[in-house]
Amino acid sequence: MKEENNILKETVAEFCDKNLDEKKIESEGITHGITELLASQGFLGATIPGKYSGSELDNTSYEIILEEIAKNSPSVAMKIFILNSLYYPSVKGTSAETTLSDAASGKLNVAVDFINRANDIKENAGKLSGTLINVLGSDAEKIILFNENTSIISGPFGYSDRDFMGFRGIKFGDITLDNTATVLDSKNRKGEILEASYGPLSAIALGMISGALQKAIDYTSVRKAFGNYLKDFEPISFRLAQFRSTESVLRSALYGEADPYYVFNLAMESIVEIARYSVNAHGGYGYFQDFGVEKFYRDAIVMKSIFYGNQELRKLAEHVYSEKINFV
Amino acid sequence: MFEEYDEYRNKIREFALKEFTEEMAAEYDRKEEYPDELRKKSLSLGIIDMQNPAKVMIAIEELCRVDAGLGIAVTTPYFGSEVIMLFGNDRQKEILQDVYKGKYILGLAVTEPSGGSDVAGLKTTAMKQGNKYILNGSKMFITNGAIADYLVVLARTSEDPNPHHGLSTFLVNTKSKGFNANKLVDKLGVRATNTAELQFNNIELNEDDLIGEEGKGFYYIMMFFNISRIYVAAQSLGIAIGALDRIKSYIKENDIKDEDSMFRLSDVGTHIEATRQMTYNAASYLFEFKPKPELTSMAKAYGSETAVYAAESAMEMLGDKSLYEDVQRIFRNAKIMEIWEGTSEIEKLVIARYILKGE
Repeated sequence: MKEENNILKETVAEFCDKNLDEKKIESEGITHGITELLASQGFLGATIPGKYSGSELDNTSYEIILEEIAKNSPSVAMKIFILNSLYYPSVKGTSAETTLSDAASGKLNVAVDFINRANDIKENAGKLSGTLINVLGSDAEKIILFNENTSIISGPFGYSDRDFMGFRGIKFGDITLDNTATVLDSKNRKGEILEASYGPLSAIALGMISGALQKAIDYTSVRKAFGNYLKDFEPISFRLAQFRSTESVLRSALYGEADPYYVFNLAMESIVEIARYSVNAHGGYGYFQDFGVEKFYRDAIVMKSIFYGNQELRKLAEHVYSEKINFV
Repeated sequence: MFEEYDEYRNKIREFALKEFTEEMAAEYDRKEEYPDELRKKSLSLGIIDMQNPAKVMIAIEELCRVDAGLGIAVTTPYFGSEVIMLFGNDRQKEILQDVYKGKYILGLAVTEPSGGSDVAGLKTTAMKQGNKYILNGSKMFITNGAIADYLVVLARTSEDPNPHHGLSTFLVNTKSKGFNANKLVDKLGVRATNTAELQFNNIELNEDDLIGEEGKGFYYIMMFFNISRIYVAAQSLGIAIGALDRIKSYIKENDIKDEDSMFRLSDVGTHIEATRQMTYNAASYLFEFKPKPELTSMAKAYGSETAVYAAESAMEMLGDKSLYEDVQRIFRNAKIMEIWEGTSEIEKLVIARYILKGE
């Protein structure tokens, strides 16, 4: 990694230590104050062009920011990802592109919907009505709707929180469209947007792996059972050491020359197992929010459930065979 | 195995489907509250029969299949009762009858803040002073801790070079002076169950609060674990079947035919069948008073891994749909199976020890 990348890494880590109280974020959400801080540091608009007050960073710098923040707060990393990897490419070249200034400065909240389908919404004279269930993002002014097309919907919206197990800082909720919302743009580009997200998503996954694992390593270094430290028990320290190897290989692959398809596959295939074992290593304490490790397990399975399924595996197989496959 | 209980099983299934509505399960999960009305209802309908361990096991499986949070909540008011049933005196057994009738809630307090797996390393003491025992110490992650009327407590009554000696069990009234319970919140799952941290500050216990013989507490608790681990295996089996139920519905409703999904479905089903065979096999020895701890630990360790595997599979297979279904609750509930009543690591040590002993 280049010197400037190491400096960025340290800067972001320092920012997280100083400003991100993850327990508070999990219980209260990402406050406006945190959003403003992220904007002032240039993290919020990491890849957004300078003309829209973004930082216009390269991929490596952007991924370093996501990784470092996800170690501490996967929710905050996901918020940055939504703006830079989903919203920015969705509005690029459309009339909504000018809203990027607000996005980079923290004045625009964006929600993402992967669940609802086109027939959940009715359109009448350009105005939308209906309810979108379990949308990722709270108090949003814009929604990116990934269904048959990628649509940008502009509010105002009605909003109600849902209890949710993952990315609690962002919150999931139901959004009501009451003949006030409009479609700003609609194109079929879900596939290309998500494929271009493999690197950033892998960076978030890497940060979560690193964060969970470090908690497990720290805990097993000080916690005793049967008169010995937990790390003195081979099955525990061997397993954690193997996971650190995976983490290290993943990091080299992400910031190196490895194919993003393979990096994403390794990240998604590792994240739940490592987060789960990190909970295990804490014994009963791991099951409680207070120790800050169970959130990685919740967030990991949510991330895998949303972004990695049969379609991604098919794409990977076709990538390997370099041809379209007629799956049975 | 246990086919003679098919009718009983159907009755439990019917009860769970009727009473454990999604709204109720979600509400108690959200509020982290104990569903006391449901406990009373289950008692009045004869859902729990603590005199028959096979019925208890089947009830746990079927209730957890629908919702583990509520299922465990209605089957734990009797937690620790086997210690009294096997070793208690007449007065304690009278109290136990009131527990069975629903008048009291019972709990078992073994784990301490400084160590969960290392039972013999516990620090709580009950030293004898005259004809009293004085209980001091603290306990952690105690199920029913803040709602129990009585607790079976393991404490050290004498120092001994062998740490397994010198431990004793007591039946402690939670109204005793010096008892304090602090409800623990923000659990990942099984949030309808009550979990607490306890403090004992100079609680005076009478000689007839001692359960069984002084100094044999460790062995009583290990014997109890032989039973309770079967019940955890049954919880795991129920959770895994519940996850499979959701996967099957999703596949059918969405007409999913891809082979990757079929293979995953097949793997989950195979794990469940193996768990069922292991659990019922271990239970068949235990319920004939010929326990085989290695089989029990195998069932518990494998079963808990199966519950987690099935729950994670359901999350991944349903994808974004899993996020607003009860599947996410199954996922959160499953994880505790690998932790309580002996972590998977402890179970593996027990299994290895018995395999070597068999040679």
